[in-house]
Order: sequence, then C-alpha cells, then structure tokens
Amino acid sequence: MGHEAYSLDTCTASVDNLDMVKVSTPADALYGLEDLLVAAGDLLREEISPRTVRLYATQGLIDRPGKEGRSAVYGQRHLLQLVLVRALARRGLSLSAIAPFCVLADADLEQQLEQLDGEGAAATAPSASTGNEALQYLRDLSSTADGPDSPADESSSFARKATAMGSVLGMLNKPLSSLSRSERTPSGSRSSDGGSRWLRFTLAPGIEVHVRDSVLPPPAGPRRQQWLQHLLDRLNALLDAADR
Amino acid sequence: MTRPILRFRPLRPAVASDRPSTLDLLLTITPPPAAAGATLRERPPLNLALVIDRSGSMSGTKLSYARKAARFLAGELTSRDRLAIVSFDDEVQIVVPSRLVADPQPFIAAINTIHSGGCTALFDGWRVGATQVAEHLDPGAMNRVLLLSDGQANEGLTNQEQIAAKVAGLTQRGISTSAFGLGDDFDEDLMGAMAAAGDGTLAHIETPSQLADLYASELQGLASTFGRRVSLGVRGKHGAEVVDRLNDLTPTTAGNHQLPNLRACQELNVGLQINLPAWIPDQEILSVRLAWEAPGSGERQSLIEHLQLPVMESEEIKQLDPDGAVAEQLAVFKANRERNRVIAELDRGDVGSASVSLGKLFGDLSVMPATPRLTRELNLLSEKLALLKSDPKRGRKRLRNESQRSSLNVWESDDEQT
Repeated sequence: MGHEAYSLDTCTASVDNLDMVKVSTPADALYGLEDLLVAAGDLLREEISPRTVRLYATQGLIDRPGKEGRSAVYGQRHLLQLVLVRALARRGLSLSAIAPFCVLADADLEQQLEQLDGEGAAATAPSASTGNEALQYLRDLSSTADGPDSPADESSSFARKATAMGSVLGMLNKPLSSLSRSERTPSGSRSSDGGSRWLRFTLAPGIEVHVRDSVLPPPAGPRRQQWLQHLLDRLNALLDAADR
Repeated sequence: MTRPILRFRPLRPAVASDRPSTLDLLLTITPPPAAAGATLRERPPLNLALVIDRSGSMSGTKLSYARKAARFLAGELTSRDRLAIVSFDDEVQIVVPSRLVADPQPFIAAINTIHSGGCTALFDGWRVGATQVAEHLDPGAMNRVLLLSDGQANEGLTNQEQIAAKVAGLTQRGISTSAFGLGDDFDEDLMGAMAAAGDGTLAHIETPSQLADLYASELQGLASTFGRRVSLGVRGKHGAEVVDRLNDLTPTTAGNHQLPNLRACQELNVGLQINLPAWIPDQEILSVRLAWEAPGSGERQSLIEHLQLPVMESEEIKQLDPDGAVAEQLAVFKANRERNRVIAELDRGDVGSASVSLGKLFGDLSVMPATPRLTRELNLLSEKLALLKSDPKRGRKRLRNESQRSSLNVWESDDEQT
C-alpha cells in the first residue's frame, strides 16, 4: 500500500524525470496496447478488448497511436479518450454522439470524465422512476437469491431457470449469468461468457440487449437503421412465438 | 453559506523549485452549518426500515434492548416519516409494513411481539427491509435501511463480496444502508462492507444499552445530512502525481473516490501524498472536484477547487515548521490504515507480530506533540494491545471499526470519546 514510504518529513524523489513539467503530453506516459487495456480496464472496471480500441481508432474516437519500431504506443491522451468513450457508451450514447467529445483538449477530456463520475443511476434516470428502479432491482435480487439450496451460486441457478423456461425468455435471460457485473455498470458494459465477449446495453429497467464482440454494428446512418429494423422484426416474431 | 468549503492544508506551505519533492496535503471539507432557525421539523422526511436480528443468539437482554430501542426510534419520528420494522431469523417477518408514524403506539405494540428464533438470514432480512423502503421511495426523503445484527450470516446469501455488491447496487438507486453490529459475535468485516457499500453508518455496540444513543445519533445524522453519494476526484496537474490516498476510500468509476455523507458541522478530511517534479511558480498542482447529491432535490451538485503553492528552494522548505494539526491528522489516518496490517497478522494467528505492530504504531504516535485527540488515539491503541492478550476477538472487532473511521461515518459512543 505504499505507506512505508510515507514520512512526515518532506522527502525527495529521485531526480530523473525533469521533462515532466509539460501538460500531460502523450510522451510523459507511454503504454503498449496491453498496458492501455489494463489501465483503462482498471479505471472502468470492465474488460476492454484490443478490437474495441482498434474500432475506436478507425472511427476517430481515439487519436492514431504513435509508432515505436513496429508496435503501436499510446499515451495519456489515448487513455483519457478511451475511458471517456466507454463511460459515455455505457450510458447509452451512440459513438457518433460521443465523437465530438473526443477531439477536446486533454484538460477538457478530464473535466468531462470528472463530471460523469458518480452520477450513475441518478443522472440517467429521472427521479420519478427511481423508485421503480430500486424496487425492480430488489425483485430481481430475490429471484436470484432465493434459488434452491445454493443461493450463493446464483449464476448456475439462474441459468438453470432460464434454460427451463426455454424459448425466447430463456434466450433473453441467459447472458445475465454474470449478474453482479451487470449491477456494477447498469447502462451497458462488457462481460465474458464462455470465452466470448459481450457488449451489453440496458434499454429500460429489466430489458437488456447483448451483442457479441465479433458483431460490428454498422455506423450510424441508413445502414444502421436497416440493421436495427431487421433486429426489431426478428424480436417481434420471437415474442409472437412465445405468446403462443 | 449553502455550499461546502474545500480547503487545502499542506504540511509545509511551499513546494521545491530546485528538485523533485513530495507534498503531504490534507483536504478539509466543511459542509455548511444547518441553516439558521432550521429545526428538526424542517429536515427532509425519513423513509426507514429497521431490520432486527432475532436469531437465537439475540435472546434475553439483547433482544429486550433491541425492542426498547426500536420503540424509542418510533417515538422520535414524526407524522412525515415512514418506518417499517422487519425481523429475521432463518425466516423474515415484516413486523410492521412501511407506514407513516402518525402514532407510535401500533409500532410499539408490534415490536413487543418480536421473539428470538433460529438462524441468521441476514441478507434476506436486509432485502425485505429494503423492499419496504423501496415501495415508498421518495427522492425528497432520506431513504435508508437500518440493519441490526449480532451474528454471522449463516442462512441464505452469506458471501461478503456478493452482499456488498448488492447493497451498493441499491445505494445507486437511492436507498442507503447502515449496519449496526451488536455484541461479540457479529461479522465485523461483513457489517463494515455493508455500511461502506450502503453509503451509511457503521456501528459496533458492545452493550445493548447503547442502542438508543446510537439510534438518536443516526436520526441526528440523517437530519443533518447535507450531501449523500459524495465523490471526490483529485487530479494532479503539470506532472504532479497523487501517489497515496491515506484514507483508503472506496474507488468509484473514472478514478474518483467515495466519501462518507456530508453532515452539517461535521468536517471531513482526506490525506494525500503527491510527488512533484521541480516546480515552476504559478502552476496549478491539483484540481479537486467534490460532487454530492443534496437530499430533497435529488440533483447532483459539485464544487471544483485548484491548488497552487509558493515555490522555494528545498533547503528553505526544510526550515519551515510543519503544520501541527495537519501532521496529527495524517498520523491518525496512517494509524487507522496500519490497523489493517494488525488484523491481517491476527488472522494469520500471529499474535506476536500483531502486538509488535501495535507497539510500533503506539511508539510513532507517542513522539508527536500531545493533544487531547492524540491522547485518545494512544489510549485506543494501548487498549487494543491489552485486548490482543485478553480478548483477541473483541480486539479485532474494535480494530476493524477504528480502521474504517478514515473512510466511513463510524459511530463512536460519547463515553468512548471522553
């Protein structure tokens, strides 16, 4: 925890990094891709895949990485951009809505992040519906915590229930197996499930959409609309089938 | 004054211009005092559930005090407040469903029917109590579950991390949780984790006669709450790097940290250690953002402050007298943190090392200038040293309680403070 180093006397650190007086330039902290993923993952408490970073880079949400020999190197600014994009995406903002924030100066990126923090449920839900959200949350808890004889192992009992229900409901429920994870980040996050990664979006209390990492949604525009319409039709058909 | 004041208090009031240095800094947050003429009547309404353990171990004096304290609580509330009473052993019983406390009599009659029974389904008790609050959730009220238990959770969900995650989920949705452990057998780690995740109060009561005082203090705390779900973001500028946060606050997303509720007239302190490169005059060292939710409005508010300090040669800085009050507060934080090491040693069964660590801690504090506060801290430490031999279980409970004072509202009885 570093407390041994703490002393009430002003102590001095080693004299090595005197060029650090510049404002958080990318040069003051360089990461390889792995380091960037770990650093951002720690801040966001979610796993981030290399693919996500490349996707964001190609869409201009993250600046192009620098090169050091043949490998890409990332700096503080990339980290800020990545964390901001994920934090906003988890709130349900589309990437095209996020894009304007990503070109801001570093200080403004930080400001944005600071303002986002801690506002979670209160900021995303109007206060009138908060009550329902708390109640719905507790009802969800009771359906998992009351599982037969192994209440601690909620994932398997929940998956079992889901499978038993079969059909559409079962299919919709199954990715919920990592429940505690979805609670931490209620408005969209990644989770690993049997080796594959899922991006999850909360559309309304109790309703989530899960998208496998390998699926690339089309960019905003007519193709996106067409794609969503197709999914909507499919969901509609499945709901009809479940009613019967 | 309707906003908190955030002050920077460096141990020494300058940073070095000629070489990299380390800055020891205290952030002091002072919430505004309760508005002049505000009475208890003008506080936000309370929406509470009292969840009482009635497992076998609560039988006798403990339960009779718990009933008495619950009657006291009902008597202190007004017709604007809601109260539900839930009790649990291996089953959960809603003793009184949530209702306005127009007349405490029905509560008192129902409380008298609580009798002790079997195991401790603590999580389910919490959940049912929380549901009572949630059914009447009012963004303008203080919505809170008060959980009183004397035992280890041994029925239903019992895993500490999972329970804490679920409590935190409810905090996000507007309902906080306080955790009160009674006696010598409750699970101090679980109760501490629940109070931290619940954005509430942690209390360790050794004799049930203290319950009424605790409830009174909790009501007072709820009534004087100025901000809840408080987050603190500290960012180093121009190469300044925060290398240690002495309070061991719970991290939130994006690198910020959770602070206890802001209460009128209750100062909060945060200890920081910052590494600096050789510093250029007139540069910002830190930006600090405090954000909170005001009860009654549900809106999030925030405050941003920036730190600048004069620069001097490092030799000159060494000549400056350190601020005694800052040094003392930082030392207390450090001692709170070191208690965790003592607990880890106890958990390994290594009472010898635990005693040595406590002794060292005592030695470090005893060389500082004596103040009433430090004297009290020294008394606490020497008392723990004695308990390691006579009653290590109780010693561990008190150590855990004291260690969490840096990051939580921890109830301390008046007799202990004097």
